Amino acid sequence: MQPSSETVIEFRNVIKRFGATTAVDGVTFTVGAGETVSLLGPSGCGKTTTLRLISGFEDPEEGIIEIAGESMVGKRPYERNVGLLFQHYALFPHMTVAENVAYGLKHRRWPKAEIADRVGEMLRLVQLKGFEDRSPGQMSGGQQQRVALARVLATRPKLVLLDEPLSALDAKLREELRLELKQILTSVGSTTIVVTHDQNEAMSLADRIIVMNRGRIEQQGTPDEIYMKPRTAFVAAFIGRTNWFHGRIAGASDDGFFRLTTDAGTSLAIPDPGVAGGGKWSVCIRPERMAVTGPDAKIGRSGDNLLPGKVVDVVNMGAEFQYIVDGAEGRVMVVEANREGPRLRTGDRVSLLFRAEDCVVLPQDGA
Amino acid sequence: MSGRGLDNGFRLLGLLMIGVIVCFLLTPIAVTVTMAFDARAYLGPLPPPALSFRWFEQFFSDDYFLRGLSTSIQLAVASVSVSLCVGVATAFALDRASFLGKEALISLFLSPLIVPPVVTGFALLLFLSHMGLVYGFARLFCGHIIITVPYTIRATLASVAGIDRSLTEAALILGATDRRAFWDVTFPLARTGIVSGAIFAFAVSMDDVAVSIMLTDAKTYTLPIALISSMRANFDLSIAAASVMLMLVTLALILILDKFVGLNRVIGQGVFR
Repeated sequence: MQPSSETVIEFRNVIKRFGATTAVDGVTFTVGAGETVSLLGPSGCGKTTTLRLISGFEDPEEGIIEIAGESMVGKRPYERNVGLLFQHYALFPHMTVAENVAYGLKHRRWPKAEIADRVGEMLRLVQLKGFEDRSPGQMSGGQQQRVALARVLATRPKLVLLDEPLSALDAKLREELRLELKQILTSVGSTTIVVTHDQNEAMSLADRIIVMNRGRIEQQGTPDEIYMKPRTAFVAAFIGRTNWFHGRIAGASDDGFFRLTTDAGTSLAIPDPGVAGGGKWSVCIRPERMAVTGPDAKIGRSGDNLLPGKVVDVVNMGAEFQYIVDGAEGRVMVVEANREGPRLRTGDRVSLLFRAEDCVVLPQDGA
Repeated sequence: MSGRGLDNGFRLLGLLMIGVIVCFLLTPIAVTVTMAFDARAYLGPLPPPALSFRWFEQFFSDDYFLRGLSTSIQLAVASVSVSLCVGVATAFALDRASFLGKEALISLFLSPLIVPPVVTGFALLLFLSHMGLVYGFARLFCGHIIITVPYTIRATLASVAGIDRSLTEAALILGATDRRAFWDVTFPLARTGIVSGAIFAFAVSMDDVAVSIMLTDAKTYTLPIALISSMRANFDLSIAAASVMLMLVTLALILILDKFVGLNRVIGQGVFR
């Protein structure tokens, strides 16, 4: 579903304090109709508070929250037409599955026959037809979360909020349900905000990711932008695995690249950092953007970097191999797909090859 | 199962402990029940040579006991009804509110559990006399509300505290007003706790001596008070029969509750969390 220009939720300079701590500190973002946006960050970053502000369980101290152009000031949760999927399902234990799904419809005064139709439709959507009379306590975690999803979607909310939707499930089930969740959300075309600390969940579910830290937004962008073009060291470190090199910029070279002299003395080709200036800089490169070559490899073209080192550990992750390589720049991690061919062993001497374009240059924290 | 000698040893010890405790609890009751059916006219060694209903006949032909039983039941039903309303409302209010001194207030509400009942009874007697309330049933009614309220408050508080807050939030976000969310979610989930509180309160009311003895008058007295008085006057085994009746009334109440609410729900609250 293509995001349209219609804004479903607008968050403008919202501030929420709990005593001395500012949980949400001047956060601004919008979500368009049909869009799936993820609020990603470590625990305590303000993402859950943001969700609770949208649902109406908390009131902001400052700022504006609008849903479909309507101010939410003083609106109780039941006046907002927002759906919320809870981390621990929050199914009513004393009601059957069908009663749970029908609960929101009952309060919207739907006629009985239509409620029954809608409940059937929703349970078909989450593949739980025939479970109507079960009690939630008799179902597995994955099934309970599907019932909860059916309950959320039944009322056709303007905005669906997912609070760590899969984190209570075990890893295998989480992956299955993630795909299914994405299909369901796409098929009903809902506007969705997913709150999560799990980058895989964010990357796979969302059209756009908002990375939060300490109550503020660090970066917003597509999953690809967030992963490949992190704008802060926090974003680079929080999402995915990263190798870091620290040093000072030695200036531009003839080939259009810049040179960075690391603290250990290596000269690396890096892309244009954008801003001039001395000071300390950090360069990060994703492990899968590095290639392992023979120890005697030479730099073939400008913009290539070669780092000699020795393999100190080989980790078989099934789909991929992780090599831990020690060199002049310290410990570096390289990831290669598990393909046929000779494999590296601990103790092998290698060179690591990577392109300047794949590096991200960031001013060092506090610089 | 080999290699579990130690575990089996522990299990044996555990079973032994349970056995001892069960004997300790049940023996006096078994003795009382046996004596109530004793056919002899005097207190003889156990077991009785013959059984009869003679003590029950005597109990039911004794106006003094019957009056006590009737007062006890009326009193328990009336005071538990009131203390249930008061206790449940208080517990819900306390659970929702957050203010300075909340814990202190809870302690105050539960204080009748700590204050010796004799003191409560005596204080109440003085107070009510000052107020000019001398009618026995009314005095007992007040006293029994005071001693049963802690049980209804505490049981309700415990069950409300165990309800996941996200359940109420789920109801709200699905479109229920705060009032509807209370009646749809909070109250039904707390019901098991409320019922167990009511059972305790009823048992406490049926059983009480220390407070009641201060508040009875010549015409209004409870069954436990009648038992004690008659024990002093003329000891015979109709007292054992009366004790059995007291147990039966309580048992009947529990069975009725089981029929309407389900005792397994009251005991096995884990399912409803």
